[in-house]
Amino acid sequence: MHVKVVDDRIEHVDFSIFEPPRFFEAFLRGRPHTDAPDITARICGICPIAYQMSSVHAMEGAFGVTVGGALRELRRLIYCGEWIESHALHVYLLHAPDFLGYESGIHMAADHRDVVEQGLRLKKAGNAVVTLLGGREIHPINVRVGGFYRVPTKKELEALVPELEWSRDAAVATIKFVSGFTFPEAEMDFEYVSVSHPDEYPFNEGRIVSSKGLDIDVSEFNRYFLEEHVERSNALHSRVRERGAYHVGPLARYNLNFEKLTPLAQKTAWEVGLGETCNNPFKSIIVRSVETLYAVEEALRIIDAYDEPAEPFVAYDVREGEGHGATEAPRGMLYHRYRVSEDGRIADAQIVPPTAQNQLTIESDLRYVLERHLDLPDEELSWVLEQSIRNYDPCISCATHFLDLTIERA
Amino acid sequence: MGGVVVIGVGNRMMGDDAAGPAVIDRLAGRLAPGVRLVESVGDATHLLDSWGGAQQAIVVDAVVAGGAPGTVHRVDGTEGFPSAWRSASTHLIGVAEAIDLGRAVDMLPEQLVVYGIEIESVAPGVELRPEVEGAVGLVAGRIVEELS
Repeated sequence: MHVKVVDDRIEHVDFSIFEPPRFFEAFLRGRPHTDAPDITARICGICPIAYQMSSVHAMEGAFGVTVGGALRELRRLIYCGEWIESHALHVYLLHAPDFLGYESGIHMAADHRDVVEQGLRLKKAGNAVVTLLGGREIHPINVRVGGFYRVPTKKELEALVPELEWSRDAAVATIKFVSGFTFPEAEMDFEYVSVSHPDEYPFNEGRIVSSKGLDIDVSEFNRYFLEEHVERSNALHSRVRERGAYHVGPLARYNLNFEKLTPLAQKTAWEVGLGETCNNPFKSIIVRSVETLYAVEEALRIIDAYDEPAEPFVAYDVREGEGHGATEAPRGMLYHRYRVSEDGRIADAQIVPPTAQNQLTIESDLRYVLERHLDLPDEELSWVLEQSIRNYDPCISCATHFLDLTIERA
Repeated sequence: MGGVVVIGVGNRMMGDDAAGPAVIDRLAGRLAPGVRLVESVGDATHLLDSWGGAQQAIVVDAVVAGGAPGTVHRVDGTEGFPSAWRSASTHLIGVAEAIDLGRAVDMLPEQLVVYGIEIESVAPGVELRPEVEGAVGLVAGRIVEELS
């Protein structure tokens, strides 16, 4: 991140912590379409399932395959696991320390060991779901176009239930705990964008909708959204063509899909005063906690209703075509597009991660924060900015996880 | 408590950052049957889970510490972590963070050895540069000796 201040005026804010997955798009070209889920899963170590899901949905779209029934439910279940892990990590170990006045989760652990342990246990419950269905918790290898290589037995899934039941209570306690923090005032006027499905809180399927009236099929993404190169960096900024910056992630999903949360999640949200909408990015920690509760309850529902399908995947014929997938990664909507040749190889790939979509919004938020705190010494200013960035749970490209902040004052 | 785990930290699609997972590949079939081999992107909580319950853990990670690429370091992870290896991350990604967190919540294995393989930088790619590839073979050999 680079900030240039001239005569106490912000001349320039450049936030480009996120490298777009250009390498992956190029690497996929010419490879078998079946490679997409495994290779794109490596773009992010924290949310491999999201990459797998968007890629398999896109491929299935290209081939005209529909995955329904228990296989569709298992996909929602593995997504529940990823949300639980990712949200627990962010809420407890990355975000809570900001509100409790600690430099990091490690520093917080000395005084609040029970809190950290609760977070670790919740995260582990999510890991267990992903490991069982994915085959391996980081970079799962069991997801394939059409379904899974192997599906779990009912008994295997039922073994997850006791820890998920503990997690349900822990998630309710988490919502109550984090809603007691002191939140800076902020009321943002974002255009929220998320996947939306008539009957479900969104994971895998639905249309792309926004708080400013957008309601499109996933295949129309490029017609309504634009990825723009940013000068002086490799970063890409996404914008709604007609309007500009937008926001994806828990706040967007929550504001656009509140009524599809479980009754307990809705009730708890009301109890802690969150209401049906939330426009304060600092309070995203409460929203993540509500989504964690949702994911735990949804996982329990799916396991309870599960009947092992006869086949672990839907057979399909390879054909030339183009497919689109948009699913809800923990940190927001993730869009994939592939063109597949007649021989089943990838002719073209496009991957638009949530953090790339949020970059413009984060940048404008940082400018807002900077304008109000320019008088702080660099070190404190840097801390305030880091906190603002953490509100958005950005996917720091896992290999280059450095937040380099340069403040240039002239 | 018991058991031995070897954890290779890194991303296979990020060039020399794949040194850790590459060591895991080289160890397949060369260790006693009870030794667990784990690949990790280095999320601290995943590392805690990976060495949870083990009496002895060996972690291999690519490090940028200013030395020549391919240089191999071996440190006792229970005694802290070389400050030069620390990332500026506040995102709990990395072996140093995992060790600090593990110490705070009492989740460190009794024996914890960390091998650091020096790399120059992390950039997308699927090839290891020859010096790093050589170090991968060396570290795999040392781990086989250490655990035999």
